[in-house]
Amino acid sequence: MSSTAMGAARDSGAPPRSPRQQRGGLARAQRARNRNAFFLIIPSIVLLAVVIGYPIVSAIVMAFQKDAGLDAATGFFVQGGFAGISNFTHWLLQQCPTSDGGTTSCPPGNLGAQFWSSTFTTFFFTVVTVICETVFGFWMAIIMNRAFHGRSLVRTAILVPWAIPTAVTAKLWFFIFSVAGIVNSLFATKILWTSDDWPARIAIIIIDVWKTTPFMALLILAGLQLIPEEVYEAARVDGATTWKSFWTITLPLVRPALLVAVLFRILDALRMYDLPAIFGGGDATATWSVLVVQQMRQGPNAASALSTIVFVFIFLVAFLFVRFLGANVVQTTQAQQKGELK
Amino acid sequence: MTAAIESTDARRIRSAPVSSVSLRGRERRRTVVLGIVAWVVGLIFFGPIVWMLLTSLHSESNAATNPPSLFAPLTLSSYANFFGASSGASPWPPLINSAMMSIGSTLLVLVLSIPAAYALAIRPVKKWSDVLFFFLTTKMLPMVAGLLPLYLIAKTLGLLDTVGLMVILYTAMNLPIAVWMMRSFFAEVPLEVIEAAQVDGAGLLLTFRRIIIPLASPGIIATALICFIFSWNELLFASVLTSTTSYTAPVFLTSFVTSEGLFLSKVCAASIAISLPVLVAGFAAQDKLVQGLSLGAIK
Repeated sequence: MSSTAMGAARDSGAPPRSPRQQRGGLARAQRARNRNAFFLIIPSIVLLAVVIGYPIVSAIVMAFQKDAGLDAATGFFVQGGFAGISNFTHWLLQQCPTSDGGTTSCPPGNLGAQFWSSTFTTFFFTVVTVICETVFGFWMAIIMNRAFHGRSLVRTAILVPWAIPTAVTAKLWFFIFSVAGIVNSLFATKILWTSDDWPARIAIIIIDVWKTTPFMALLILAGLQLIPEEVYEAARVDGATTWKSFWTITLPLVRPALLVAVLFRILDALRMYDLPAIFGGGDATATWSVLVVQQMRQGPNAASALSTIVFVFIFLVAFLFVRFLGANVVQTTQAQQKGELK
Repeated sequence: MTAAIESTDARRIRSAPVSSVSLRGRERRRTVVLGIVAWVVGLIFFGPIVWMLLTSLHSESNAATNPPSLFAPLTLSSYANFFGASSGASPWPPLINSAMMSIGSTLLVLVLSIPAAYALAIRPVKKWSDVLFFFLTTKMLPMVAGLLPLYLIAKTLGLLDTVGLMVILYTAMNLPIAVWMMRSFFAEVPLEVIEAAQVDGAGLLLTFRRIIIPLASPGIIATALICFIFSWNELLFASVLTSTTSYTAPVFLTSFVTSEGLFLSKVCAASIAISLPVLVAGFAAQDKLVQGLSLGAIK
């Protein structure tokens, strides 16, 4: 179903009109469409600008303010004031204020010193969980798309992990992963899943994959519905194997829905908070958001600076993702539009 | 409808390739291996769910054993406890609050996102990719960072602890993914169908009702379901912005877990009870999830 085929079909189906009449009518129709489109989108934009745009702006403004506290140079309590970029260097370069008014490297244990390790943790969690969730989600969606006994039961039961609030999920898995818990007794091990660095990281990844795979599966399942059965039948007649028709038919046709699901999954995974905060693991599982919450208790302005830095990082990730992987989606839509405007 | 789909699926399975014997043998071996893997992964995935369900149905002393006692006598006492038979707090007010917020915000998301996604997918908008990216940027700030400003606005407007505030917040929270998701589905609706409707004189509303919504219904249903679930189990905003009158089911559940945390059976029963509305919504939606776009429309 390429755009050329659609264009051809449209040309043959359109009633014959004189070229001038057609051009004038189309231009007017296009202006009306643009105006309509504006009114269709503007309510959503206004709502988001007010509800979410304002906090973003406010975080950026706060990021340039000093936190109230003891001045390292004088020892007096100060109310704050303009901080310049000191809040940002605190996180990015681990610079803490010293008694002579200058700055020095933050000592270990200071939250500022944890920025890059939390960056690693966040990206590690994001990459591993999103890959696992995509693979398992795709696979579950394909299974759920087939006919078998109890399919509706499976389709419903699959939503359970996702339907339970994360805070409670983390607590339940805490029992499962505890030292004398089911996992350790099942494998006859004594691993400290909830406190050792790597076991805690692995446990959090397992929980997150368990919890969020239904999200991916649901969206991919909806995407699979767009593929007409005839396409598979045609491929089968041509002798394509299951594997081959997956790569050449299923994947390309599901791609738009899949990319959206992966993109939003990445955005959420980069802001993961509840699971590491409640499950445990200490500094080894402290993501960006955990660090923001910890800093929030010490000084909201430095926390805002960290939030702004996180915002910029996530912005870059999303931009690169849309630019390189989403390019194809953009092109097909533009090709469609060109076809329409022709 | 389901029956029809199942019959086409059955046809698909029966008309397996018969081109060569060796190919058939390899396919069968692969099917067996895949089947085993499917069962293993399915067990790993559903194991914890079954564990929760069994634990919730066991008495507290049987739930505490390790390894779990699978064949202990079943009892509904943990559920009875959760619904307030023995303790004072009733879960109904937070459940009703959560239902109002989730349903209200899901409907609002649909009303706002369907037109926006339609405009972005089908109608040409100048700089539309910038608009789409703007929707994304609202998903980039850590949630906690947005909490303080929103709290202050809500306080100024006197909206703290109201259902309306949470409906608006959840709508804003889910709007970006709804617009992106729907746009990807609407883009699949063949243009000639829409144009044909317009040539026949159908207005915007009629085009939505008769063409776009029926054809893209799996996408719309899936989007509505994820919006419902995201609002249903959102905890951070609800725990800060609601208190006595409009507190939500997750807030209730976490306080329940804090107070009854050592009583595994009660916690499991509460978790399952709170996820029941989602399961009902999921069960109701899953039938519609597979109807949707039949490309017979353009034949």
